[in-house]
Amino acid sequence: MKSAAFDYVRPRSVAEACDLLAENADAKVVAGGQSLGPMLNLRLAQPPLLIDITRIAELGRIAETDGAVTIGATVTHAAIEDQKIGAPANGFLARVASGIAYRAVRTRGTIGGSLVHADPAADWVSSLTALGAEILVVGPGGTPRRVSVADFVRGAMDVAIEHDEIVTGVHVPRLSATARCGYHKICRKTGEFAEAIGVAVFDPDRGLCRVVAGAGGGRPVVIDGARGTDRLLATFDDPRSGRECLDEAGVTGDDYQMQIHVAAVQRAVQELRGR
Amino acid sequence: MLRKEDDRYMRGRGRFVADIRLPGMQDVAFVRSPLAHARILSIKIPPTLRDRVMIAADLEGVRPIRADTTLPGFKSSTQSALADDKVRHVGELVAMCIAPTRAEAEDIAAEIEIEFEELPAVVDMLQGRQPGAALLHEPWGDNLFLTSVTDVSNGTPPANAAYEVTRELRTARQVMSPMEGRGVVAEWDSRVEQLVVHTATQQPHIVRSGLAECLGIDEGQVRVIAPDVGGGFGYKGILLPEEVALGFATRKLGVPLRWIEDRRENLVAGADCREHHYLLTAYADANGRLLGLDCEASVDCGAYSAYPFSACLEGGQIGSLLPGLYDFPHYRCRVHSVATNKPPILPYRGVARTGACFAIEVTLDALAREIGIEPVALRMNSLVQPEQMPFDNIAKRHFDSGNYPEALRRAIEAIDLDGVRTRQKTGEPDGRRIGLGFALYTEQAGHGTSVYSAWGIPMVPGHEQCQARFTPDGGLEIRIGAHSHGQGLETTLSQVAHQILGVPHDRIKVLHGDTAISPYSTGTWGSRCMIMSGGAVAKACEALAGRLKHIGAKLLQTDAANVRLEGGAVVGPTSRIEVAEIARTWYRRPQDLPADVDPRGLEVTEGYKAERDTGTFSYAAHACLLAVDPVTGEVELLDYVIVEDGGVLVNPMIVDGQIQGGTAQGIGTALYEEMRYDERGQPLASTLSDYLLPGPTEVPAARILHMETPSPYTRFGQKGIGEGGAIAPPAAITNAINDALAPLGAELLMSPITPRRIVEAIAAAQHTQTPEAAE
Amino acid sequence: MTTITLEVNGREITADVSPRTHLADFLREQLLLTGTHIGCEHGVCGACTVEMNGAIVRSCITFAVACDGAKIRTIEGFDEDPVMTRLRGAFSAEHALQCGYCTPGMLVAARDLVHRKAENPALDTRVEMSGNLCRCTGYSGIVQAIDTVVSENLVAPPSAEANSEPWFGPAPGPSAKTATPTASAPASPRPAPAAKKPAAPKTSGPAIARRPIKVEVGDLTVADGVTQFTESFTLAHPVATVWELMRDPEKIAPCMPGLVLDGPPENGALAGRMEVKIGPITAGFSGSGSFRRDDDAHAMALEARGNDRKSGSRVSGEISYRLTPASLPDAAEATRVDCTIAYTLQGPLAQFGRSDIVKDLVGRIGEAFAQNVDIRLRAPDAAMIAPAKLGGVSLLLGALGASLRRAILRLLGRGS
Repeated sequence: MKSAAFDYVRPRSVAEACDLLAENADAKVVAGGQSLGPMLNLRLAQPPLLIDITRIAELGRIAETDGAVTIGATVTHAAIEDQKIGAPANGFLARVASGIAYRAVRTRGTIGGSLVHADPAADWVSSLTALGAEILVVGPGGTPRRVSVADFVRGAMDVAIEHDEIVTGVHVPRLSATARCGYHKICRKTGEFAEAIGVAVFDPDRGLCRVVAGAGGGRPVVIDGARGTDRLLATFDDPRSGRECLDEAGVTGDDYQMQIHVAAVQRAVQELRGR
Repeated sequence: MLRKEDDRYMRGRGRFVADIRLPGMQDVAFVRSPLAHARILSIKIPPTLRDRVMIAADLEGVRPIRADTTLPGFKSSTQSALADDKVRHVGELVAMCIAPTRAEAEDIAAEIEIEFEELPAVVDMLQGRQPGAALLHEPWGDNLFLTSVTDVSNGTPPANAAYEVTRELRTARQVMSPMEGRGVVAEWDSRVEQLVVHTATQQPHIVRSGLAECLGIDEGQVRVIAPDVGGGFGYKGILLPEEVALGFATRKLGVPLRWIEDRRENLVAGADCREHHYLLTAYADANGRLLGLDCEASVDCGAYSAYPFSACLEGGQIGSLLPGLYDFPHYRCRVHSVATNKPPILPYRGVARTGACFAIEVTLDALAREIGIEPVALRMNSLVQPEQMPFDNIAKRHFDSGNYPEALRRAIEAIDLDGVRTRQKTGEPDGRRIGLGFALYTEQAGHGTSVYSAWGIPMVPGHEQCQARFTPDGGLEIRIGAHSHGQGLETTLSQVAHQILGVPHDRIKVLHGDTAISPYSTGTWGSRCMIMSGGAVAKACEALAGRLKHIGAKLLQTDAANVRLEGGAVVGPTSRIEVAEIARTWYRRPQDLPADVDPRGLEVTEGYKAERDTGTFSYAAHACLLAVDPVTGEVELLDYVIVEDGGVLVNPMIVDGQIQGGTAQGIGTALYEEMRYDERGQPLASTLSDYLLPGPTEVPAARILHMETPSPYTRFGQKGIGEGGAIAPPAAITNAINDALAPLGAELLMSPITPRRIVEAIAAAQHTQTPEAAE
Repeated sequence: MTTITLEVNGREITADVSPRTHLADFLREQLLLTGTHIGCEHGVCGACTVEMNGAIVRSCITFAVACDGAKIRTIEGFDEDPVMTRLRGAFSAEHALQCGYCTPGMLVAARDLVHRKAENPALDTRVEMSGNLCRCTGYSGIVQAIDTVVSENLVAPPSAEANSEPWFGPAPGPSAKTATPTASAPASPRPAPAAKKPAAPKTSGPAIARRPIKVEVGDLTVADGVTQFTESFTLAHPVATVWELMRDPEKIAPCMPGLVLDGPPENGALAGRMEVKIGPITAGFSGSGSFRRDDDAHAMALEARGNDRKSGSRVSGEISYRLTPASLPDAAEATRVDCTIAYTLQGPLAQFGRSDIVKDLVGRIGEAFAQNVDIRLRAPDAAMIAPAKLGGVSLLLGALGASLRRAILRLLGRGS
């Protein structure tokens, strides 16, 4: 199938993009189009106007400070995979990026696009939630607001953004050098959508210990351990206590789903511990 | 020998249907039924678009597609090119929309409103067999195309059966999914008053016959061209309603028309193979030898009998396939070919054998577990022995040659059965469970008139012919009516011709896929081409060799009995003349030929038919070693061994490619591919993210070992091998998974075996074993 | 039509394209470069893989208009490329192709991998090639051929080139020389009328704050193709007040996000339109329905069916509810509303893998409805409640969203 007809516009600046959105109620922002493209080709999405933000220079840049790396919204998964940008999480972002779909998708798919889509199965939704990243959103006023990924993603395909706002970047706080992360994705075949995602982060210097269970159909579920200890991780040494922990945290699903959610987190923890 | 066809594909210079451009060509998009079973009440077309839309009422004089068999009790269905009264599956064609581009044609399609009265749908074959089920074809009174019965018994189970197991098994509905879908470019050539249809088919001549019948025109008024075709696997062995609709419309409208199937159409309207259900009982004696089988099977045939293979192509064969390679005295099998509100069932690589192999081989493992012996021991006890060859099995299949136990022995050795059993006792450090499974099959191929005439479908294969001729510059043209779409016939048939005539490979051109330039053929199916087309090419080249020798001898001024064809030349007692020189003289310098030269020249048509046309039986033993993660249900294939006997191999590289490629499809059947339907007959996958095809990480490189037992019935002793790879993997993989899970009491009996099915089977087994724990 | 300028296989090309034309169709239909094949048009199979500015991309989900200023290389452009020449030799030697349909995309991806492995030898050939499906070969010849060429070390690892502009977005990027200037006006000469629909001013939202209302969602069942679930909530208003609102389809309709009635009911018959949005997916179901009311029992049942012309999908459903007296801590006279919702979806929207409904989604839809009812009761004369958006999810979408969820999971998770 071919897409229904649409108009196409290519703003130069974020302000122009926001103005265009404000003027066009049903317009859709597109970056790499790797998620929207299939929907258009299936005619399940039929926006009258596409606003291509990939020619807005500032959205494709990286800003690094001592405490964080800010990744522009249109930075591709491939750029992150190839470690062309700063590594706020000791290589963890590159590792996550390399597992997204396929290379020819990663070269165009963008971190901002992925987050705005908020597909529960998407890698960035779970992994950036675990890192405590914040999303930068700009509206017609021009003043960026920052919202944590956890608050930004309200549910499946549902994000806290107004129609005339766009995501300009992701602010990823740096982990300390001693921090370790684990990531485990369960899917039917390479590059396919996750049925369960487990993320584990332990940063003793920052007192952070967190696990995330993602791809459960809604927003990822975050479990924070007590500051300064990694006791939380031990919960997942045993599948029963792991399951109890996820149950309490609000992960839902039938027995199979719960079993693979526990396994995903458990294996992320194992990876974190280096075994 | 490397393939002649590779270069054009690797440079993007192949020519597939979608690559063809005709002046003034318009694109077609179809409006398809969103419902599985409904009566069409009205079709509303905006008046401004009326001349760009065709519906059933516009197809004046077009006859429905009808594929009957002469099997007693068969009930006939008729399939209109565009649905008139009722739609019987989601995706059935209702209207065709014509515009300069596909996108615009789809815009028109979106403007058409159809009012339906929805009818209850028959979504499951077992439900369809129940009394009171909704009826697809009301006059039938039930939903059975046919019930086939095989009974070799005294009416009771075997008296000396010490062991008996019964299993209920299912294989999912699949979509064959060649990377290229179907596609049609049609135009009416007013100069020769001929409908020219370029179509992605395996059987151009059969499509021509079917089109002429449906359109009510002479076959001479139809030319079908199959250009490069991007994989078939059976999906392109059918007369399409789309071909009929475009064939009619292009003549009516006077413009060339193109329709290219997209992936959504392919998945939604083309889910049409493999779906079987079995209730199978197997008996063994006290010594662990198979005594007999009792089976009740159903095939989910979809809504219509597809042309030319009919709706009974699977159901009609299960009875004779189920006994496999085993020799046993008791057999009863009843197979129901059930009409359902799904797309019509089509042949898919392995036709019926994949399901039958799954049923018998998985049940044999269950029987072996019941007896407490190695599954391979039960098989060794029960296989047809080499000294029995040729062998007529209990279902009257005539096995031509082979050594089945030896194939199994080699597989056991290659996969290291003893080593695996030792490893299983120690357990895996990562908590996974490993399992080993075997499966064997025979693949009947190249079977001909005697087999198909009994079946009585619209197409009965007879002699296969080849036209061969020299060009004036000494090149050789080979024309065949079958079609090559990945099998490499342009190379292998060239090899056959080269062997006989000594013409260099680069001077041999194999032409195929065009009814105007090739002899009639039923086409490429049933792994028949190397046997039938290969045989015909050999016959034609031998005849040409005789002509060369005749003319060459005249030119050498000697008797034909004194010359031989050698190294691309006719060699006489004292001198020689190159084949190219003979051709040049024949065509361009007839003045140099004596008056008594045979005027038939350097062009022949010769035919071939095996002296016994019951077919060849290649066979293989597959052995699979895998690891199952009992927590996540994930399966990893660790090793895969195939011991294959394809008789004499013409091109071993191509044979291995067929086996490896077939195995990949078999892995898809075993672990990934499933088109599910909801209870109203809505297909639940319309992208390749929902319908999973195995990729490079899902398919291991199989270790292929060859045996070479020549077939006594074919030209070179070759056997058909094109489908075998796809037959055994579901059985071998399922047996391996069941081997891995046996200690947990879990058993999987449905393909594909998904992670969820594994996890749930383990949970169910634990629940059964420890009922108190579940309280 | 939009004018674009791009380089294809080294040739500068200026062409008019419809914005909806994807790159693969542009190459095949307008430039007659038919070596790029289309296998799925959903970005899954890899047959259409081409190179853009040195990186491999899916030409079926990349629109030609977005390639303005890009450098494209298709299979036809690699005839003289040394690495591709070696790959062709190795593919033939290893029998890495049969029907040849996936081959152009496979080779373009393989060549890219040979270059990437020169930089990062740890990359696994099978994993990296998993975005290219082949139905014929079973992959072993392909993998072998690629590994053979990799082992020949034809490619020098790229020197760390200084990125002149530190920019990491998808090609061709802001510095590309384009035919159509990057501008604030739509690139096409005349925007479609529908495009100019200003967003509703944000101030039109309800003047009264939403109050949280807990919605209990019961188990979801599917029988005979009908998906059914229950929702219950309690409103801090007396039954009579609630019934006054909920007995009237015209009044209750605006509380259902996305629902607009054509006019007042006639003889129990309703006509209207339901807008459904989830993520980028939109569907507008136009249809008709009817209702039955039992004033004594405070019960109402509405059934409706409609078609979405855009997608050719159809939906039918029934919502029934019954009010009973209840109490809340802060309202002695409260009303419990028990709803049963049943629906059937057919056509393209249904034809994705259907999985379990997201309970939290259903719950949130119910919440939006309950809150709207609550607001309406507290301020009956307030201006029309703004079409309540719940991430674009409407009530019936509770139903629809369920079946669409898989679609979204499957198709939209790649990030754009």
